[in-house]
Amino acid sequence: MRWLLPLFSLLLATAHAEGVSSLAPKLLPPEQAFRLSARALDANTIEARFDVADGYYLYRDRMHFATEPVPAANAVLPPGKPKHDAFFGDVETYRGEVVVRVPLTKTAAGQKITLHADSQGCADVGVCYPPNPQQLTLVVPAAGDKPGAFVEPGSKGWFK
Amino acid sequence: MNGGDATAIGPAPTGQPRRRAVIVGVIAVVALVLGIGVAFLHRNSADAVRDGSAVLKLVLPDTNGRQQALAQWRGKVLVVNFWATWCAPCREEMPEFVAAQARDGAKGVQFVGIAVDDPDKVRAFAKELKLNYPALIGGFGAIELSKTLGNDLAALPFTIVLDRQGRVTHTQLGPLKQAKLDALLGRLL
Repeated sequence: MRWLLPLFSLLLATAHAEGVSSLAPKLLPPEQAFRLSARALDANTIEARFDVADGYYLYRDRMHFATEPVPAANAVLPPGKPKHDAFFGDVETYRGEVVVRVPLTKTAAGQKITLHADSQGCADVGVCYPPNPQQLTLVVPAAGDKPGAFVEPGSKGWFK
Repeated sequence: MNGGDATAIGPAPTGQPRRRAVIVGVIAVVALVLGIGVAFLHRNSADAVRDGSAVLKLVLPDTNGRQQALAQWRGKVLVVNFWATWCAPCREEMPEFVAAQARDGAKGVQFVGIAVDDPDKVRAFAKELKLNYPALIGGFGAIELSKTLGNDLAALPFTIVLDRQGRVTHTQLGPLKQAKLDALLGRLL
């Protein structure tokens, strides 16, 4: 009866393949397609990162950062890859890792800072996600201390 | 394959017929399970027919702020497209919809765009594209509705096709290819 095993696995495999092909294209939720993390570099600077999964991209001009209670100055966004958009003109996109410096307007040594990060991106399969506002809270190191650890939105009790 | 070790395990003299019965039984059960599974998957697939009454109950403002009830197009083959100007793949497929509206409108097709966007941007893009079907502004409620119709991630474009009886006959996440659209409309008109 051992010969039944391969037959059985074959039938199961066929059933499985049928199931996958009839479902919508497998898309990552935006939090996984564009993974946000951030750390305090020093008492005056937050570093935000997006890890963009393969096959996905973010728009540079739709990325916005703000902090509280100490407000942020303008974020320093790295140059993206130029892309011509028929409606919006020349835009830039990010793939892979995006590292953004968010300078604070004054020192926040030892304080809790909440970072608000807005982003919007798409998948190469031809689908875009709505603008995604996220936030995370981190503790800024004392003046002269090492950079803080990376924090992700989920790890601080943030729920969508 | 059917070696001596297997025979040694079973009750030796009556082994063969009983084994055959067991095999037939196992195959029957496997077939039944597969059949139920496939039927279940088909029920949940994009082409399963679902009740579209929630779609026809939507009332949304157009770009001039006037409230438009989707129920006014009851009885037509209704193609409801969720889109936004910030969604390039959405904008890229819309000329196809404009052409289909011009070609099949008289036969009873009505396209309706629900933009998850600012009215100003929608108005500007509609003008540029010479949009020949209504562009409504969809808020939170419209996005939630698209989620109940299978668009869990609220991604765009998302298109649903309702037949003249108001049944959802197709849902599409991502671009709706011209050939697929033509086939869908051909079947419903």
